[in-house]
Amino acid sequence: MTRGFTGQIIQAHAEGRKEGEYLSVRVDFVLLPDPTLALLLTDLRELRGNIWNREKVLVTVDHFAPPSTVERANVVKRVLSFVKEEGISHCSLYRGICHQLLVEGPWVRPGMVVLGADSHTTTAGALGCLATGLGSTDILYTLITGRTWLRSPEAFRVNLKGKLPAYVMGKDIALELLRRGGESGFLYQALEFYDLEGMIPMDDRLALCNMVVEGGAKNGLFCPDDITRRYIEARDGHPGQWEGTFDGDPQYRGAMDVDLSSLNPQVALPHSPSLVVDVEEARGEVIQQVFIGSCTGGRLRDLEVAARIFSGRKVAPGLRLLIIPASLKIYQTALENGYIQAILEAGGVILNPSCGPCGGIDKGVLGAEERCLSTSNRNYRGRMGDPSSMVYLASPLTAAATALRGEITDPREVL
Amino acid sequence: MGLQGVITGRVWRLGDHVNTDLLHPPSYFSLDASKVEEGLREGMRRLGADLRGEYTAEGLVIVAGENLGCGSSRESSVRALRIGRVKAVVASSFARIFYRSLANLGIPPLECRGVHDWVKDGDLIRISIKDGLIELDNARRFPISPLDRHIEEILACGGLVPYLRRTLDEI
Repeated sequence: MTRGFTGQIIQAHAEGRKEGEYLSVRVDFVLLPDPTLALLLTDLRELRGNIWNREKVLVTVDHFAPPSTVERANVVKRVLSFVKEEGISHCSLYRGICHQLLVEGPWVRPGMVVLGADSHTTTAGALGCLATGLGSTDILYTLITGRTWLRSPEAFRVNLKGKLPAYVMGKDIALELLRRGGESGFLYQALEFYDLEGMIPMDDRLALCNMVVEGGAKNGLFCPDDITRRYIEARDGHPGQWEGTFDGDPQYRGAMDVDLSSLNPQVALPHSPSLVVDVEEARGEVIQQVFIGSCTGGRLRDLEVAARIFSGRKVAPGLRLLIIPASLKIYQTALENGYIQAILEAGGVILNPSCGPCGGIDKGVLGAEERCLSTSNRNYRGRMGDPSSMVYLASPLTAAATALRGEITDPREVL
Repeated sequence: MGLQGVITGRVWRLGDHVNTDLLHPPSYFSLDASKVEEGLREGMRRLGADLRGEYTAEGLVIVAGENLGCGSSRESSVRALRIGRVKAVVASSFARIFYRSLANLGIPPLECRGVHDWVKDGDLIRISIKDGLIELDNARRFPISPLDRHIEEILACGGLVPYLRRTLDEI
């Protein structure tokens, strides 16, 4: 068995029913963002009407937050009346992006099976759980039964070695993996990360697990360590019970090393997250908009490093800088710490915690042939606006440096 | 759609790594079937589909390369294919969420290497899932990878919702 911790988690949740290669597996928690939840409500009502456990779901209104069209207002209305009728305890209205809220609350711990109606549910794997995204109909099945059907993926071990330089972030590690593997390099695999130096901050781990799906992976999982323990303890007031979950000797199909100390800041060129180059090769590309936000790049550390770069400086004339804190909690802490003030003084616009323009939905979408450097996860053609617009993906550090110059800039030049 | 009969349709050929944002642009997300369908037409336009109206009326079979349906899990992209009378989807490989969503909505996702190089938009294609074969108009044949029994069960029911309705009493 070369299925890593992921395989152990699946086995621990399997209930003995098997069909083909698929096991029936108990689910611990389900994430339900507004648009994809709305898609399943008609079928849910027709089938049974009630969900299996109203304490084990988190509903978020984050994509249409607040709604900007009448149609979306009606989607949100439907979602909110579902929450009320069902008596769902955990519902977050306009308080942040689902993937950040999921890890901020006291719900997800190592060893769990976590599903979400959104492909970036892989983010939560940073806490050592099996977290993956599914389509609405699959999620409907889980809402009614409390189970899902899973195949056990082959697991690959990723050794993160060496010291993370001050100019490199989790986002750069993700882009480096995508450069190596391409858009389908990890198709249907579990990627399990070992932070050998024990130095990668949780926010960077979340960004890395967020983007494993861009390489086709089913999930990304950080093997729980002291950083995981400290994160959960600070969040819940106690470390929780999870030590016995892992047997300590997982088997892998293969392994790869990433030497963090030799990594350069990375940029994904239009229109693929795996079309990755060192920042040097994209340097000088003229940019009209910089977006720092999304479930990949809008966390506290992201705002902190951006604020440090902006401190006492101004963004390039004519450049539009959009910032979206990934949650209300992050927003408040960034305010208290002075990050928001530094960003505002530099000329940035702060939007409310939400998905924003990342999926081409909300304020900040791009016009024809415009170029945006974004800390988000996808730069597919037309995803963020006009089909002829172009999106470059990079870390919040590279994004902030780029905003100062109005062209793609190596953060080492401004640090 | 049963698994016993022969599926016939016109080919809509797609390349490698066609993501769901391209197939169905995110601004067309909707609960309204006509807007979802409009999104598919926009996706076809962006992907350069060369299909005449009478072909789409006969029903389509997508024939794609590697990693079809990568990206967003928004099921509206697959719902759009169902509304757009896509009878089956053939690819060299699939992204996992898209693969599951196809089966869940009753559209057979079929893995086949080789056929992709031999078709163009509008070609007639015949698929027998039971025999595990794809046949083109020039009589050229290609084997399909066998479906997992679980996926077969879901497809035989017509999708995951009817599968769930059937098994609800057992749970």
